[in-house]
Order: sequence, then structure tokens, then C-alpha cells
Amino acid sequence: MSSTSNFLAEMTNSPVVVKLQHGLEYHGVLASIDGYMNVVLKDTVEMVENNKVRNYEEVFLRGNNVLYISQK
Amino acid sequence: MSESNSTSSEPLDLIRLFDICANVQAYDMHCNMVLSDATETIFYTEQDSPEIKSRTKKSDMVFIRGDSVILVSDAANV
Repeated sequence: MSSTSNFLAEMTNSPVVVKLQHGLEYHGVLASIDGYMNVVLKDTVEMVENNKVRNYEEVFLRGNNVLYISQK
Repeated sequence: MSESNSTSSEPLDLIRLFDICANVQAYDMHCNMVLSDATETIFYTEQDSPEIKSRTKKSDMVFIRGDSVILVSDAANV
């Protein structure tokens, strides 16, 4: 397994920040991720410019919109 | 799900142009979806006004091409 996919696999079940190309950020617990960077987050807060906007119990983000995924 | 005629205190309102609240009948790996009882909410502003307005369109059955999908969530939890 490559080190990048290793990095992503090790992050599952830990708190992460996913930023989309539009500028929205999702702070939540990484439930699942695949090779397309499709992401499922749990207990997620949607943020724009550090303003809390919305909560999601569980949310699916389509991989093509992802800018980065970082460990919190 | 989304409130209408809110003000633009939340910047997200400016980014989220529209959303669709519906029942998923079918989907595939591309996120192509067939939706039933769909309500599309379109957000817009008018010139010289910070007020975010919205209007809705209803459709009994609609096909969404997957590449325009950003996010999928349970509408009951929004």
C-alpha cells in the first residue's frame, strides 16, 4: 500500500477537516474514504470562513470537490 | 430543510446556489441519481440587496447527473 493511501486509511475514525474547492470546510470524524477521495464524515460541522453554518449527523462528500483532508 | 428569505449573515448562503430534497430511487458509482418527489430550492440575491431569496421547483421524478453532486446527506438531520 502506498504511503498516501496509508495516511488516509490511518485517519479513519479520527477527527479531520475536509476542505472543498469552493471554500467550505467540514469538521467531523472520518468514517470512510475511497480512492476517489469520496468521504463519509460523522458528527460534522459545516464551516465557511470560521463561521459554523450547519450540522450533519452523517454526510457524504463527492471526491472531485475535495481540496484537502487534514488531521485535526 | 432550507429556510427562505434569510439574510446573508451566513456566507454559505452565497455559496450554496441550490439544493434538492428528495427520495433517492436509484444511484450509481458516479452519484447519478433518480429522485422522486423532488423539491429544488434555488437561492439568489437581487442587486443592491443583501437579502437571500429562494424559490422552489417541484418534480415528481428527476435524473441528476453525478458530476454536479457536491454533498449527500440525510434530509431528516439537516
